[in-house]
Amino acid sequence: MFEGLSLNQAPPISVVLRFFLTLPVFGLILSLLMIFFPTEILTPNHPFSLASIHLLFLGMISMGMIGALFQMQSVLGGAPIPSPLGNSFIIHSLLVLGILALASAFMFQFPELFIIAAVLLGSGIVYFAQILLPLLIAKMSHNTLKGMRFAIFSLLITAILGVVMASSYANVSFGDTHAAIKASHYSIGLIGWIAALIIYVAFQVVEMFYVTASYSNWCKQNVKRILGASLFLKVIWLFAALPFAWVFDVFMALLLVGFVTTTMKRLRSRKRRVSDVSIWFWMMGMGLLMISLLSYGASMVSHYEPLEMMSLIAFALFALSIILGMMGKIVPFLVWFHLNAAGYMETPIMSNIIPAKRLKMSFWLFGVTASTAILSPFIPLLLIASGLSGVALFSLLLFNLVTAAKLYRNVLTTGTRFSFEP
Amino acid sequence: MILEFMRDDHRACDHLYTEAENALADKKVDEAKKLFGEFYHATNHHFDMEEKELFITFEKRTGMMGGPTQMMRYEHQQLRALLESMLRSLNEDNYDDFFGQGESMMIMLQQHNMKEEQMLYPMIDRALGGDGELMIQTLKEMPK
Repeated sequence: MFEGLSLNQAPPISVVLRFFLTLPVFGLILSLLMIFFPTEILTPNHPFSLASIHLLFLGMISMGMIGALFQMQSVLGGAPIPSPLGNSFIIHSLLVLGILALASAFMFQFPELFIIAAVLLGSGIVYFAQILLPLLIAKMSHNTLKGMRFAIFSLLITAILGVVMASSYANVSFGDTHAAIKASHYSIGLIGWIAALIIYVAFQVVEMFYVTASYSNWCKQNVKRILGASLFLKVIWLFAALPFAWVFDVFMALLLVGFVTTTMKRLRSRKRRVSDVSIWFWMMGMGLLMISLLSYGASMVSHYEPLEMMSLIAFALFALSIILGMMGKIVPFLVWFHLNAAGYMETPIMSNIIPAKRLKMSFWLFGVTASTAILSPFIPLLLIASGLSGVALFSLLLFNLVTAAKLYRNVLTTGTRFSFEP
Repeated sequence: MILEFMRDDHRACDHLYTEAENALADKKVDEAKKLFGEFYHATNHHFDMEEKELFITFEKRTGMMGGPTQMMRYEHQQLRALLESMLRSLNEDNYDDFFGQGESMMIMLQQHNMKEEQMLYPMIDRALGGDGELMIQTLKEMPK
């Protein structure tokens, strides 16, 4: 038989797909909340707002990023994640149940659910980190691996702080350090986990997939150092209640502005000119990150709350834009790769797995969802429009993923494999 | 350094493919065929440099016979098959298939290049030590 070629390093397709398929499901739940509870969601610290934030950052963004890490580790890390089927099942189950418990705990104010959520999410993330971190601390290391290591370590710290906060919510007892823990939790989560991982993935993906000029070595070496030092000092400042903690935000914001301008420049002057929806998503993501940084800067000066809300929404959408763009490439590639490597003659080409027309439609729906969402802190009714558009977007995404998975299974069950046997 | 030499060759191949793809997108079919032919030969030559010289020397020095180099050979096989399919699609004027196969080829090739640049070439550089420059000279002199 024509045996699988490089498959022995790549995880089975179901490992990555289970995380990706969950993303639109949480997207649909969040969109429905946006339609039915727009005022509550737009009220800072309202339980529905906190539930929505965690559905977005954990249920969608972290779910997509952890799924992608299962795939990326085999490519960039040299050593694949061991027992990928079992481990992904454990991590995925813990995360899904934990996210549902946490969102329900906020929405229905059940103290016990906060404890259940803390146990499930905490153990899921610690389990994930203890599998991946040793693989990333290999003898042969490079900047991307170091960046991934930094991001996963940040996720771990974010989770530990989250567990501490969940126990405070469960006991309805908030100590003097609650504000410092909360600010550290979201700062490390947003910048150390999400932004850092996207930046280090961009260092690899943008240059190689779109054939652009390389990011400078200085950037590749120092981004994690600058982010790490800024976050570390900010946390100390927060816990010691020292003034001017915002100075560290300025450092991180300036670095992110540099990342946006450099990435935009590279994408615009890319050598590979063939139209590709993933590039549109990258461009949109960079635009959203810039909006997030500008509105954050304006909110620091003006102390106008809707600007801060706008900054958070734009930041989440920046991450989501990159994830959706990459999923549109990764999923068809994985279907093609696994079928082709297994020797199926009916293996479809990537553009027949998720047609470009549907990918373009998802981009435009994302554009409508994002533009209405970022303006909703000023015009709350727009959050309903964003929710409606979100329902269409995540239904389409779910349809795209399910049809790709079905196509894969169809070829597996009915296809013919190349054979050298008589 | 082997890493720099081989990485530059990866980028040169990428450039040729990009030129071919851009030409076909601009409907300059003859130019696209010529450029893709150049990419096809350059990529196969790159694989040959690795399989006929670099990997063999590395394996002799380290005794690592069934490890990363074997994995890279497997991937070369898959990429060669993909290049053949693309050449066929282009010669049959089946441009949609060419672009579709090109997308798979590009992701696969870049993943393959990442593995080599991040892991394998630094290992080879360490194994070859001072003989690295001699190896580069040998690779440069290989017939194209």
